[in-house]
Amino acid sequence: MSSALKCLLLCAATVTAGSAWGHHSFAMFDLDKEVKLEGEVKDLQWANPHAWLEIVVPDGHGGSMQWSLEIGTTGMLTRAGWKSSTLKPNDKVTVVVNPSKSGAPSGRLVSVTLPDGRVLGPGGPAQSPAKPPV
Amino acid sequence: MLTRALLGAALGFFASSLVSFGFAAEPDPGAAAPNIWGVWLGTNGDPNAPPSYRNTPWPALEFTPWGAMESKRLTTPETPDECKPYGPMAHMSASSLFPLEIARTTKGIVIMFEASPLPRRIFMDGRKHSEDLDATWLGHSVGHWEGETLVIDTIGTNGRGRPLNGYISGAVYSKTDTAPRLPVSDQLQMVERIRLVGGGQYLEDEITVTDPKTYTRQFTVKHYWQRRPDLDVLEYFCDDENRGFEAKASAGNTR
Repeated sequence: MSSALKCLLLCAATVTAGSAWGHHSFAMFDLDKEVKLEGEVKDLQWANPHAWLEIVVPDGHGGSMQWSLEIGTTGMLTRAGWKSSTLKPNDKVTVVVNPSKSGAPSGRLVSVTLPDGRVLGPGGPAQSPAKPPV
Repeated sequence: MLTRALLGAALGFFASSLVSFGFAAEPDPGAAAPNIWGVWLGTNGDPNAPPSYRNTPWPALEFTPWGAMESKRLTTPETPDECKPYGPMAHMSASSLFPLEIARTTKGIVIMFEASPLPRRIFMDGRKHSEDLDATWLGHSVGHWEGETLVIDTIGTNGRGRPLNGYISGAVYSKTDTAPRLPVSDQLQMVERIRLVGGGQYLEDEITVTDPKTYTRQFTVKHYWQRRPDLDVLEYFCDDENRGFEAKASAGNTR
């Protein structure tokens, strides 16, 4: 069993969709399922209404497959610690995604582990920084 | 010394001339108002927000035939009109995704919401709605203070603004395509009562919606924001060049 398939099966029961806030519906993606992928960055499209991260992932047969991963708006990403220069082509990354229901190589980014080990989320609500007053 | 004196006299004459020509400093209608100014973040979607300061859900609504048809048109994974400016209802949605900033001007109040390119202008200078308003994305808003409460009346919307996703209505975010979108039309009248709550750390907006083209009855909801001086309202331009949502989601590597 491939590691991707193991993750897909194991993670399916554990994912919460609480952070699945979007400018639009994410109904095209299976928010109850997570897939972990390792690959190289092709492009970070820093744009609105949503940014996209394109990565190239080995397909296990000597070839590769390009995945399109949707992330937040540029403002959301800025608040989550991203910059437009955070990822560059050929950077090696590990991503966790909610995959497309159609089976296409696309999804909603849940998290990305950067080459320096930092982990960033997809951007979303800027939550309360501290316990709010009663 | 003489030069300085002459320069001062010239400036004084220039300033007095401005006054006489009608360029005197305008009054500051918000000078004595409660401190609603600054950056706020909606509590809708923030799990740490106290329950008493979370948006009240929209009541069970009955659409008119037009409203039902419009809601159905909008209920798709890729929200139609996503890149258009927001109407006033969505502008005040109190989503925790984007902060808004409230600033006072010489004519009243400006509310800037990060997710929408247009500032919302609330005229506080005593004017009334014009009899023959030209419809606009955010409509025409006039306001006044009733004690500590800011009362705003808005009409004159074009009904073409970006619609509310179901989740903004207080319904939880839906993982399906079936959560109803909540449109408002060009017949919208929105009356708001805005006040500080929670020791000034929260802002409450009691919104009464009358939209006979869309809904069979008037309804009222309350939306809340948390004071967030640590945040900036950032630039957001919804770029149609970056569409391709459906293509990417269904086919993957399309570009």
